[in-house]
Amino acid sequence: MKDADAMVFVVDDDSSIREAIKNLVSLVGLGVETFGTAQEFLRSERPDVPGCVVLDVELPGLSGLDLQRPIIFITGYGDIPMSVRAMKAGALEFLTKPFRDQELLDAIQHALERDRAARQHSRESAELHERFDGLTSREREVMSLVVAGWLNKQIGFELRISEITVKIHRGRVMNKMGAQSLAELVKMTEKLELPTAKDQSAKTK
Amino acid sequence: MVAVLTFVCFRLRVNLTIASLLYLTVVVLLSVTYAVVGSIFVSVVAVLCLDYFFAPPLFSLRLADPLDIVALVVFLGTALLIGRLMAQRKRAEQALQKVLEELELKVQERTAELAKANDELRGEINERQLAEEALQKAQAELAHVSRVMTLGELTASISHEVNQPIAAIVTNGQVCLRLLALEMRRPDDLRTAVERIVRDANRASEVIQRIRALAKRSEPQMDSLDINEVIREAIPLVQREVFNHGASLRAELAFALPPVLGDRVQLQQVVINLLINGVEAMAPIMDRPRELLIRSGHEAGEVYVAVRDSGIGIDAKTAEELFSAFFTTKPSGMGMGLSISRSIIRAHGGRLWVSPNPDHGAAFQFTVPIYG
Repeated sequence: MKDADAMVFVVDDDSSIREAIKNLVSLVGLGVETFGTAQEFLRSERPDVPGCVVLDVELPGLSGLDLQRPIIFITGYGDIPMSVRAMKAGALEFLTKPFRDQELLDAIQHALERDRAARQHSRESAELHERFDGLTSREREVMSLVVAGWLNKQIGFELRISEITVKIHRGRVMNKMGAQSLAELVKMTEKLELPTAKDQSAKTK
Repeated sequence: MVAVLTFVCFRLRVNLTIASLLYLTVVVLLSVTYAVVGSIFVSVVAVLCLDYFFAPPLFSLRLADPLDIVALVVFLGTALLIGRLMAQRKRAEQALQKVLEELELKVQERTAELAKANDELRGEINERQLAEEALQKAQAELAHVSRVMTLGELTASISHEVNQPIAAIVTNGQVCLRLLALEMRRPDDLRTAVERIVRDANRASEVIQRIRALAKRSEPQMDSLDINEVIREAIPLVQREVFNHGASLRAELAFALPPVLGDRVQLQQVVINLLINGVEAMAPIMDRPRELLIRSGHEAGEVYVAVRDSGIGIDAKTAEELFSAFFTTKPSGMGMGLSISRSIIRAHGGRLWVSPNPDHGAAFQFTVPIYG
């Protein structure tokens, strides 16, 4: 598990715990940074790499925090209200101190994978949005009707343009969006979470 | 004696005046030593003797010179007067003697009574001392019971305080195992981890020592103390309780406080008591932050500690009852905490009182005189 590009952020008010976790995590080759309070952590400048937060659930001022990363909660004693609170706060794992080292490392690994996937997803989504923003308004109109399953002829009629022009627009959309097939374009539309043209088709029929 | 005198005087042919003075002397001497009747008898005999032996015509009871008659009459009068005076003096003396004796007796009686009263008093003092000792012992026991009860309430805080270093020890131990499993030796890292294990183990042990001191029943032990240290040791024990009540605890401790003479455990008990009370007084508060503030400082020869909460506050009527035993506003309380706290602070020569805050809640404050 060598992954120097990933960061583990440890937030605990107990310096002994901070040091110990830092020791363990850096031993497996992960980057690690420690903080005494949640506020300190929020104020810090965090590198834009996959990461996760190991957080003491008993820290004050945790409610309503949006840490933007998967969280592994650690606690001195795990009663039910506390686990509920942790889960509500978005806990990926909930470990009771003292924990087994492998348990924590597995949880960290899991969290990093989750963050990596999330980052991948958001990166793709950002790219798609960028591509989509590069389309002209006419191209967007054509695209929405294409993914709704309309034929070129129908689209031409609807938009009052020739079928040839529809084909040209369609080719440009496929090209700009980088889609190899209609199926791929449909998937992209889903990822973009655009309104489909179904409503429109219903209207014309 | 009268006869001897008469014979001697007659032979020496002393005159009537000298003889009568000598007789008078005899009368005085007799009346000092004998009863009044004796002196009267001697007076009469002396008059007869003077008449018979010294007043002419001699050896007859007749008197030739009328002046002699006067002299004899005066002699008799004087002799009788002296006898009477002497008798009176004697009676007075005797009466005085009697009074003195009676007084002596009375003094003895009174002294005996006093001694008895003294004995009784001493016995009572003894009894009172025993009672006081018993009371103190009972109070110490009560303080101990309430301390143990408080510790019971603080179980969560305490176990947290012990669990933290243990968790760190476990993790550091696992780090050691991982380091040992590596092919490459990293003695420096290993040493660091082991040193941390030792440090954290000591820390856990110190917490346990502190709790044991609180749980132990022991005679009050007066030492020179830094009250800030007492507060700093008490805070971790209530930290979890504060957290569980959704409250925050802030400490504003004065720098370089003069020492006080006190029992560390007892003063810690008071501090813990006040902090727990403050936390519980804030439990019903929903519309403002639950903030607990503990301050220390000193003025006018005293060190003070104040615990201020933003809780429900205390009305004037309750404030008076607050410190009496078995008074409680809490559903689960025994009502001993403040009463015991006050008796502890009094035993330290200080005061414990409560005052309302200008905005919300109350402030409990105690003082202890500066030592030295």
